[in-house]
Amino acid sequence: MTRRYEVVYIFDAALDEAAINEKLTRFHALLGAGVVPAVNHWGKRQLAFPIKRRETGYYVITQFEALPSVLPEFERAIKLDESVVRFLTVLQGPEPPAVVPAAAVGAAEDDE
Amino acid sequence: MMKSRSKTCPVCEAGVRVLDYKDDRALGRFLTDRGKILPSRLSGMCARHQRQLAVAIKRARELALLPYIKGYGQ
Repeated sequence: MTRRYEVVYIFDAALDEAAINEKLTRFHALLGAGVVPAVNHWGKRQLAFPIKRRETGYYVITQFEALPSVLPEFERAIKLDESVVRFLTVLQGPEPPAVVPAAAVGAAEDDE
Repeated sequence: MMKSRSKTCPVCEAGVRVLDYKDDRALGRFLTDRGKILPSRLSGMCARHQRQLAVAIKRARELALLPYIKGYGQ
């Protein structure tokens, strides 16, 4: 049975987009045949705190359906890659998460 | 039960069922000025969303989208 996962990568901001795409295809090849992840490049972003003295990171969000058994090998390959500053794998629930509209959040502030 | 409380919960009112840990702008509003998670007593969140909020903020911190301590090292 396949499960839906979401992986967020933070790459070294010094890398160019071609190198990042090449690494992504290498990682995604480990997910098994027929798995085509949806890739969303956030691009360069300021980190909330420095990680390994880096102040910025290149964020990439991917979503895919895969067998749970392929994940350990997939995550091991990412961990070994030094250009990935940090990554997070999340199992997705039946309901998709939504972004809270700015207006609604602003109203919450007034209740404090 | 959640419906009866939805009048006060800002997330329910926005029509959002599941909070997204990548939504750092919205999550950041539920932090104290030092970066602690705001208690539901102050945020007005329903129990369900407060639980989601705690997990979402912790994930966002791991990804350096939100700080662990606001103003640290500045």
